[in-house]
Amino acid sequence: MLRRLATRPEPRLRAIARAAKESLLHIKGLQAARALPVPAPPPSARQAKPGPPQRTIFDAASTETLPGTLVRKEGMPPVGDAAADEAYDGLGDTHTLYADVFERNSIDGAGLKLDATVHFGKLYDNAFWDGHQMVFGDGDGEIFQRFTRSLSVIGHELAHGVTQYTAGLAYRNQAGALNESMSDVFGVLVEQYARKQSASEANWLIGEGLFTDAVQGAALRSLKAPGTAYDDDVLGKDPQPDSMDSYVRTTADNGGVHINSGIPNRAFYLVASELGGNAWEAPGHIWYGTLTSGSLPAACTFGKFARTTIATAEELFGSGSPEHDAVLKAWETVKVKV
Amino acid sequence: MKITVRRSGGIAAMTRVWSVNAVSADDKERWMPLVEACPWEEAKALSRTANQPDRFMYSIRAGQRRATLPDREVTGPWEELVESAKAEGSESRGQR
Repeated sequence: MLRRLATRPEPRLRAIARAAKESLLHIKGLQAARALPVPAPPPSARQAKPGPPQRTIFDAASTETLPGTLVRKEGMPPVGDAAADEAYDGLGDTHTLYADVFERNSIDGAGLKLDATVHFGKLYDNAFWDGHQMVFGDGDGEIFQRFTRSLSVIGHELAHGVTQYTAGLAYRNQAGALNESMSDVFGVLVEQYARKQSASEANWLIGEGLFTDAVQGAALRSLKAPGTAYDDDVLGKDPQPDSMDSYVRTTADNGGVHINSGIPNRAFYLVASELGGNAWEAPGHIWYGTLTSGSLPAACTFGKFARTTIATAEELFGSGSPEHDAVLKAWETVKVKV
Repeated sequence: MKITVRRSGGIAAMTRVWSVNAVSADDKERWMPLVEACPWEEAKALSRTANQPDRFMYSIRAGQRRATLPDREVTGPWEELVESAKAEGSESRGQR
């Protein structure tokens, strides 16, 4: 019944259709939660409405010891350290997307406290999710500036946490590239939702503003045009493929997880571009529904993932709906066999 | 003896390679103890361990010896070898 209601096109039933879609997503979320690869929170907490974020920012003071010294807790005013304040705001924007759009209560769906450490290591050219918290380096100042400068990077890191608590995609080969793609997709959605930008207004970049002026490049990756984010004399060219025709086989980077992610990344962009409007609406719900469907294996392939997005689009919007058609067309364009 | 440290992965996925060619007696005296101090046999068990998202992967070669280590395992003698190669080696951009 919910599926039928969710696909009703009549304007007078729009609110009912929306409520039905939300209920379906909620059910799917609960189903996914049952298949958690990590200890599940108590049911009462899992079903809780999204609460406010509980953020804590630490300073590693150029060491690699986590979490470091507490510098800002939830509700405290800005401390005047750009990295700490950017991390605090970025955690808040990420929490807001999941709460407002997907009714998800923090990263684990049960109000997980959001911890982040800034100033990690010396000239550390990276940001990562360690399974419990986010970690940001300051960059080397020659190629990279501090990694908190980009909201899409903050959203990217926290999405690794969401994937860990839902599909648990392995971090190697195609499953790893899907894990990376989930982080890029939800990373750009965090930024687009915070800026209230439609699919056509958004830059679709991961890590805009991270490079110093010395680098010829706009960002780390582009979902809209994989392989075009940078082209620099020293760094070389963005190596991402934009379809299976140029899929990269490599043992480096855990089997090219940041490289082949360009293929599913572009599929998401194509769906959003085809449908127009805000990417966090139908496209975001299809991808989020897929991630939390409970039907993605840890060693998921691109084909399995694509088929699940198609099934999710059909379930949420109906067979032959513009959303269903857009998803089919996107995978065909990037040449992933379904 | 040639020592090569190749760092791949990271959120930016840009591979960097640092190389040292320890040919002279002085060079060998400087680098051999750093290489010998590393637990190469133990590293074999670590090469397939799951890495944390967006962390660096290090592939280290010294003569015939090879090791692949996740970022968080580059501690103690490994860290000393890697940091020395970064500081004193010549750098080139790696092929993916």
